[in-house]
Amino acid sequence: MRTVKSITPIRKPWAGTMTARERFNRQMHYRSVDRCFNMEFGYWNENFTQWPLFYENGITNNEEADVFFSFDRIAVIGGVDWMCPPFEAKEIGRHDGKIVLINADGLMAEVLASGRDTIPHYLKSSVTTPEDWKRVKEEHFDRNSPERKLDIAALKALHPEDRDYPLGVSCGSMIGKIRDMLTFEGLAYACYDYPDMVEDMVETCCVLVEDSLDQLLGNFTFDYASGWEDICFKNGPIVSVPFFRDVVMPRYKRIRKKLDQYGIDLWYTDCDGDVRPILPYLLEGGINCLFPYEVNSCAHPGELLDQYEGQLRIMGGVDKMQLGAGKEAIKAYLESLEKYVARGGYIPFCDHRCPPNVDPDDYLYYLDLKERMFGMKA
Amino acid sequence: MIFDDISEKLQAGRARDVKALVQQAIDEGISAQDILEKGLVPGMNVIGEKFKNNEVFVPEVLVAARAMNQGAQLLKPLLAAEGVKASGKVCIGTVQGDLHDIGKNLVKMMMEGKGLEVIDLGTDVSPETFVETAKNEGCQIIACSALLTTTMGVMGEVVKKAEEAGIRDKVRIMVGGAPVTEEFCRKIGADAYTSDAASAADKALEFCTELAG
Ligand code: B12
Repeated sequence: MRTVKSITPIRKPWAGTMTARERFNRQMHYRSVDRCFNMEFGYWNENFTQWPLFYENGITNNEEADVFFSFDRIAVIGGVDWMCPPFEAKEIGRHDGKIVLINADGLMAEVLASGRDTIPHYLKSSVTTPEDWKRVKEEHFDRNSPERKLDIAALKALHPEDRDYPLGVSCGSMIGKIRDMLTFEGLAYACYDYPDMVEDMVETCCVLVEDSLDQLLGNFTFDYASGWEDICFKNGPIVSVPFFRDVVMPRYKRIRKKLDQYGIDLWYTDCDGDVRPILPYLLEGGINCLFPYEVNSCAHPGELLDQYEGQLRIMGGVDKMQLGAGKEAIKAYLESLEKYVARGGYIPFCDHRCPPNVDPDDYLYYLDLKERMFGMKA
Repeated sequence: MIFDDISEKLQAGRARDVKALVQQAIDEGISAQDILEKGLVPGMNVIGEKFKNNEVFVPEVLVAARAMNQGAQLLKPLLAAEGVKASGKVCIGTVQGDLHDIGKNLVKMMMEGKGLEVIDLGTDVSPETFVETAKNEGCQIIACSALLTTTMGVMGEVVKKAEEAGIRDKVRIMVGGAPVTEEFCRKIGADAYTSDAASAADKALEFCTELAG
């Protein structure tokens, strides 16, 4: 839903002659554009309470911030392709000033009863053995659950065919959500102890995404597909490369087939960390774009765009470490991106949600400079 | 050789086999120190090297560490009885404001795999706690993990607090985690940064040997 609160933008939309939709599609397909697509991924919750720029102007969330900065609009819709129903989130006990609870993914977690710290400390997954999985699959992953049926008419009313902004279709996650459900260590042990169980989980994710796509693809003209994995960190993937190649990638291929039937070429996935060891398999599986592409745990986006020129596109890739390092660093970094924006297939924005350690003045400088460099030339 | 068997089963993550072989070695009268130093530690070293070279990934390291633990549990009381001391003592934690602990746990496991004693302070650890623990427990190494750009600064505080407490020359301060770099390590005056857990364990052992000598 678009925000209903009235917001006075602090910046004008960048001048342009194309619609956001036309611009996005042309830019991501290496064709000429009036100017670069103007977007950002968002901000940490803390920015809304710590940046005077936000709290003095009543901006409280990412949607409002998008309007406040007059970014180009981009939207995405998707199906119910994970647990349905989710676990009932509830408190199951208290000890030593801590509350033990079960979250919607079935993880047992601990939070401080004082409420000082709201980030839970995860203790245990509801799924460790194939017996657990059998039960959880029956209770939470029923593909025929009526709640999985989408209200297409309502979605169409929200995103009419003649819209002027790009609309994406979500292709969910083949392994990232499983990591959330099992915990990081739990997934690692499960890959080793019960490989068939993990494969069945990946298959379940794939089938649920396919079911969603079957409901959506025929009813909309999508501009792109999206996905989320977050399966890498500083030293590479958190699952083994052979596992990714043999278990995850073939499922991407199945989804790619469906997207192809409806002429959807661009498909990005959101994966932090050093994706390089699995990148060949992302590409082979049909994912051809990285978003928001975390720089500091991987490499300058140009490095990958050069290596996979014509195959790989990137959305994001403005190093948040540089945004936090002052105006000079910001300028030098944006200059290093010029060639790639000019080439096409690349939209620059902060490589994740912008953290609160970035000075809001520097952030405004960054937005100004980005417009001067990549906005429409007079 | 039973040591090679232990090492191989450990590398393959076979916890039950490792446990049985360690028990067999104990029953054969082999000293706990030898079982640790000639069986378990070399196995973990191979995994560490492979991890550094991207030949194995986190799951393999975790299952190997799990297998190592099974064996080490059996050895613990015997090592104490033999009067064997760990090659060094480390206190490790994720810095204040930060709750990411997966990397920290991996570093801990690899350090234990080198035969070091590791005190785990958990997450959200204040600079004072790091320094007091090092002082009271006689740790040679303080190892700090940070995954957030907003919390990495706490590592600089740890260095300062160690100076104030007068233990700066007795401990080596190691830093790591996603946003941390060599340059940052130098800037805050810490002693070592490594990008991965296996190298962290190598470095820690090196420091302990250096400080002992
Ligand atoms: C898993 C994860 C989480 C999990 C953590 C679960 C847990 N129990 O730890 C959850 C979901 C809880 C989480 C929460 C948050 N996260 Co988080 N998270 C990650 C993710 C995807 C992976 C981290 C990880 O576990 N990696 C695997 C381990 C093995 O790697 P590692 O920690 O880097 O450790 C290796 C090396 O660095 C080194 N090492 C580690 N420690 C040490 C110490 C020493 C001394 C040495 C020598 C070496 C060393 O050895 C390890 C193994 O080789 C990263 C992405 C990334 N690029 O890292 C984001 C990331 C770290 N998170 C991020 C954010 C923003 C958050 C949240 C603020 C989100 C939110 N708004 O709620 C919260 C913060 C909570 C808090 N206060 O701490 C951002 C940080 C961005 C920034 N500006 O700093 C990242 C980078 C994602 C991103 N792309 O922006 N997160």
